[in-house]
Amino acid sequence: MNMVILLPIGVPILVGMMLWMSSFAEHFRKEKKKKAPGNRIALYAVSILLLTACAAAAVVLSWTGDRQLTLTELVDGIPLYFYIDDLGKLFVTVVSVIWVLTSVYCYSYLKEEGADKRFLGCFLALYGVLVGLCFAGNLVTMYLFYELMTLVSTPLVMHNRSREAILAGLKYLFFSLCGAYAGLFGIFVLNRYCDTLVFLPGGSLSPEMAVSYAGILQAAVFVMLIGFGAKAGMLPLHAWLPTAHPVAPSPASAVLSGVIVKFGVFAMIRVVCYVVGTELIRGTWVQTVWMVLSLCTVFMGSMLAFREPVFKKRLAYSTVSQLSYIVFGLSLLNPAALTGALLHVVGHAVIKCGLFLTAGVFLSKYGCTKVSELSGIGKKQPKVLWCYTVFALGLIGMPFTAGFVSKWNLAVGSLTSKTGVFAVLGPIVLLISALLTAGYLLPVTMHGFFPGESETAGRQGNPEKERTDWWMLLPLLVLAVLTVLLGTFPGKLVSYFEELSGLLIG
Amino acid sequence: MSEKWMLLTILLPILAGTLVPLLPWKKRRDYLIFIELAAVATSVLVFALLLNHPSGALTVFRFTGNLSITLKLDGPGGFYAALVAGLWPFACLYSFEYMKHEQNERSFFLFYLITYGVTLGVAMAENILTLYFFFEMLSLITLPLVLHTRTREAVLASRTYLYYMLGGAAFAFIGVIYLLTYGETSSFRAGGVLKLSSLGEKADMMLVVFVLCFLGFAVKTAVFPFSRWLPKAGVAPTPVTALLHAVAVVNTGAFAAMRMTYYSFGVENLRGTWAQYVLMGLIIFTIVYGCSRALKETHVKRRLAWSTVSNLSYILFGIVLMTPLGLTAGLAHMLFHSVMKITAFFCAGAVLTKTGKAYVHELDGLARKMPFTFTAYLVSGLALMGVPGLCGFVSKWYLAKAAIVSEDLPALIGVAALLVSALLTAIYMMSVVVRAFCPGKDFDESAIAGASDPGPAMLIPLGFFVVLMFVFGLCSGPVISYLTRICAAIV
Repeated sequence: MNMVILLPIGVPILVGMMLWMSSFAEHFRKEKKKKAPGNRIALYAVSILLLTACAAAAVVLSWTGDRQLTLTELVDGIPLYFYIDDLGKLFVTVVSVIWVLTSVYCYSYLKEEGADKRFLGCFLALYGVLVGLCFAGNLVTMYLFYELMTLVSTPLVMHNRSREAILAGLKYLFFSLCGAYAGLFGIFVLNRYCDTLVFLPGGSLSPEMAVSYAGILQAAVFVMLIGFGAKAGMLPLHAWLPTAHPVAPSPASAVLSGVIVKFGVFAMIRVVCYVVGTELIRGTWVQTVWMVLSLCTVFMGSMLAFREPVFKKRLAYSTVSQLSYIVFGLSLLNPAALTGALLHVVGHAVIKCGLFLTAGVFLSKYGCTKVSELSGIGKKQPKVLWCYTVFALGLIGMPFTAGFVSKWNLAVGSLTSKTGVFAVLGPIVLLISALLTAGYLLPVTMHGFFPGESETAGRQGNPEKERTDWWMLLPLLVLAVLTVLLGTFPGKLVSYFEELSGLLIG
Repeated sequence: MSEKWMLLTILLPILAGTLVPLLPWKKRRDYLIFIELAAVATSVLVFALLLNHPSGALTVFRFTGNLSITLKLDGPGGFYAALVAGLWPFACLYSFEYMKHEQNERSFFLFYLITYGVTLGVAMAENILTLYFFFEMLSLITLPLVLHTRTREAVLASRTYLYYMLGGAAFAFIGVIYLLTYGETSSFRAGGVLKLSSLGEKADMMLVVFVLCFLGFAVKTAVFPFSRWLPKAGVAPTPVTALLHAVAVVNTGAFAAMRMTYYSFGVENLRGTWAQYVLMGLIIFTIVYGCSRALKETHVKRRLAWSTVSNLSYILFGIVLMTPLGLTAGLAHMLFHSVMKITAFFCAGAVLTKTGKAYVHELDGLARKMPFTFTAYLVSGLALMGVPGLCGFVSKWYLAKAAIVSEDLPALIGVAALLVSALLTAIYMMSVVVRAFCPGKDFDESAIAGASDPGPAMLIPLGFFVVLMFVFGLCSGPVISYLTRICAAIV
């Protein structure tokens, strides 16, 4: 009966691969027939329905009952093992919501002929892979899906096939693999010293082992943190992120920036809280270096975003910075901070996805890539710009938005943690970064609604108000509402996360 | 089965090979069927021998005293024979389509089949002299295959090939003489034939001889600084590069080195000595060096050859760890690497015959015309990188495990080297895949107009190997436990 776990993993992967293959098959046909417009709608309708069904299945599966599934032995007595636990539930829900909304958005965005199947194929397959990653029950299974995630998402980065995109895709691939191999090194070492690589809240490393082999275990965990940090855009392996995210088509950037990067964090949580346990690194050089790296990344990301003129690149730098909020929350090894980090996972996923989707509207409808070209855009797309404003306020951390709740918890966690200077330094850096965030996001709203007399104003052509494109607007509205709802009624979520954090960090 | 069958198994392909140019064949098809039948029959014999293990040894010829040509099928030998037997019929099948475009097909198959017999001889060698005999034979019999195209490049390559092989054999010979003089017996014996106590002050000498002998045999495995011949030999027709320079010849080097380490000098005498660390250092360096050179190389087959250099050192790394687990991992990688690399080479060969394109930058967009070929290439690339679920991950896992369990610092450095090499592998394999699948926007479709996937003779082996990579990756249990059983008996 538990085979049903495979459904939301296998179906999207298989269908996605078939779609991708069929995009190849079109090259074999002698004559390229013009496709009827009906085909496109049908393709999308089927994909979206399928995705929604799988998403519903995944979410329902994860919130009802305890499920696990053991399949073939991958290596060394370690099976392909799925187990749905609290962390997996959380991530799978976030992934599903974002995925369904983005898939709706894709319909209007992707107009280039023949590219639909290629894109949708990867998009669907990636969803399956991510569900697998969420449900993975031991380190090796997680590593398998982690690698697959990198491999399947690379074609999304390369989608538009410009030289720039292909190079960015390769950069993304190699940085991610570099990180994954660093993680693998750690897995090799942990396999030797841990009793099991199965995820257990609080870790499975026995205290005796942790004491007698502290040196090598800490080194291994550190290497893993750096490695998985590559995906989360943490220093020193962050350089791929600002290159790869902007060149991808906007729906792809939205899921890359909103969701995929979170899996770097996810892997870190799995290693630290579910395999080795927090006691191994608490108060050691590993924790210190980890905190320093994450704070540096927060600051650096915000600064770079502040001075970046290209809109999507600015958002990508913002992701670098915001992701390290989460990493910082995790590195404090404190329940309150972890609660904040998890809340930020949810909040940032919704917000950053929304931001990239708005950027996509401006890009696809008006070809605006630079921030300076966006002045006056509010006259044409007021609804979209209002959504943007909600997201921007959310990211800055205004009360009644998702960002506020998470940052509040992060700050509280930091101040109550016993990490010496970092307890105070953390909130200060977060505040500075919040100011910078306001500085790099809000000007778009201001100039968008009030272009003034600047010469670039109204460069988007026709000054008339445009017809609303509901395929694009609907997901944006939903995301904006979610941003507000998460900030206004966070009670249930917060208590759920507090419980989880308490379980993970005793 | 009687011991005599071993001799028959070795002689069958040799005789069949000799008949290929001698008999007056009417049609091309006739001798192709004959070749395939001979290869399949030999493989069937090998597997039959493995299932009905002959326990004794068969002395074919006695020179004098303890010098004899003797055959015996033991654990690792049987494993190696099975590996070779599994691949040869498929490689033959592949060659049928490939060799259509080459000259002197029959002389090619003559040597191709004889090599099969000689390789089986290496696997079944019972004593040092027999191993050395077949080892030398292998160098000489494969020389015409390198020379096959008769171009200037091929002549030069075959000359390099000969020098390296003979030089290596000369070093190995020192070891052979030493073992025959001081060993208690000339046969292979698990645990070694040397007794430290009886050697006295020559113990240090033994280590020097061991290093020389190991490296001498490892010349075939292209360990640094003897790796140059392998990429050069890439001028040979692809079936040769794929089967011989990624599987049979190079693995013979590793196999012989294994025999020396575990069966002649004995791990008890070697473990923890400077000899182990010197070899391990060279091997770890080769792992990274081979990959770096592969990255720099733009000729696809030469790139794969450099990749082979690196991967063979994985096997040697497992061997010089000198633990049962290390040996298991090394042998597992011998098997898995053979499957992965032969696939990659077959893909390169398919591209070569169908389009004549040999360089990486010429492959833009080719996956649109040759989807099956490049999918196979993709899978083999992923396997070489070590993606879980494919066979490369399994052997890498056990190698790393063996190294970490040994708790030796050099071994840990070796693990790091494995991962660096995995990253480099990803770069040199995936850059080809990306080019083929995602050409730039402005790429010229007319450049690949005539290309298409090859025929069934090439696709069947490719498909089989792709399936095999998945099977080994997803159910590695039986293979590993088989190897663990063999290795536990040795160490």
